[in-house]
Amino acid sequence: MTSQETGNSIRYVIPVASGKGGVGKSTVTANLALALARGGARVGVMDADVYGPSIPMILGVTSLPETDDQDRLRPVDQDGLKIISMGFFMAPEQAVVWRGPMLHKTMQQFLNGVIWGELDYLLVDLPPGTGDIQLSLCQSIPITGAVIVSTPQDVALNVAQKAVAMFRTLNAPILGIIENMSDYVCPHCGVHDEIFGAGGARTMAERLGVEFLGAIPLTAVIRRASDAGRPVVAAAPDSAPARAFAAVAEKVASLVNARPEGADTRPRVTF
Amino acid sequence: MNNPSAPVEIGRANAHDVRILWADGHESVYPAADLRLACPCASCAQQSAPRPKGQIRLLPAGIQAVHPVRIELIGQYAIRVYWSDGHSEGIYAFERLRAACPCCGVERLA
Repeated sequence: MTSQETGNSIRYVIPVASGKGGVGKSTVTANLALALARGGARVGVMDADVYGPSIPMILGVTSLPETDDQDRLRPVDQDGLKIISMGFFMAPEQAVVWRGPMLHKTMQQFLNGVIWGELDYLLVDLPPGTGDIQLSLCQSIPITGAVIVSTPQDVALNVAQKAVAMFRTLNAPILGIIENMSDYVCPHCGVHDEIFGAGGARTMAERLGVEFLGAIPLTAVIRRASDAGRPVVAAAPDSAPARAFAAVAEKVASLVNARPEGADTRPRVTF
Repeated sequence: MNNPSAPVEIGRANAHDVRILWADGHESVYPAADLRLACPCASCAQQSAPRPKGQIRLLPAGIQAVHPVRIELIGQYAIRVYWSDGHSEGIYAFERLRAACPCCGVERLA
């Protein structure tokens, strides 16, 4: 997406969605962004979960965005990522209680009122569901491909397929599905346990005809790193969880680069 | 475009009507009045809801003169039409437009 009006040039727009809440979208978004940036890409993170913004905490952001003389927002620059979030504009004890038009306006402002500059990737951390924010995003900007996050159990997968259906309805491509909290390895005895099951996302990806992007293990290392504001890809890049995120990032990069010629072409409007 | 029924060009057929060229080479021409009457916005859709049998639908006065002033893309799935009567709430999905191509006659616009 290149806009002469905003001066922004964004090569790939990748929403991270789930359908169901609590499956680790924000954690996946933060670590995927860091993994892509470690590969040399210029990456922005737009926290579109205006109801429950968690990107600032997960990425340990303590500074606030500033505005230029045209009242445009400069995203916070941290760990090589450009970051914008509703969390920057609300106190933790405040809640966003908005109807659709306000949410739409916020999405417009996050896309067009932010000085993103030149980015290879803009990852958009979506709230759960298939509602106003998802629709506003898909109406406002051409999507390169959505990433769907699900945990392996049926209750999450059943809702995740609604997210797939939503993007298909809106003609937005889907890059694939990530299985989060896939496998638990006891740090004391090394025994594997499939707490939420395993392989469900891969099976669903096959059934729905989308790519399986990889599995992220369920481990306290990821949780502790996120709570400390230093995601595992930054804190322990050689750890098994960080390597899992790196593998997903590699797959995402290969998929967006392998898209057929003209995949971004929008119809010409001569009206 | 991978989808053969995705639009590649949207423009004027004449002073009033809208022409869409699809990726598979098919061309559709939508008469402006039909398109305006088929506006899918909540307000218009309510007015064009199914009527009791025998009830005549009264067309708005001057509907034949209404024409699109501007068309903009909505994401990757639809267009918004700005009409000469000031209306612009309707979002017309490509899928619906293709299914209701006047020359194919599979579905009616309105």
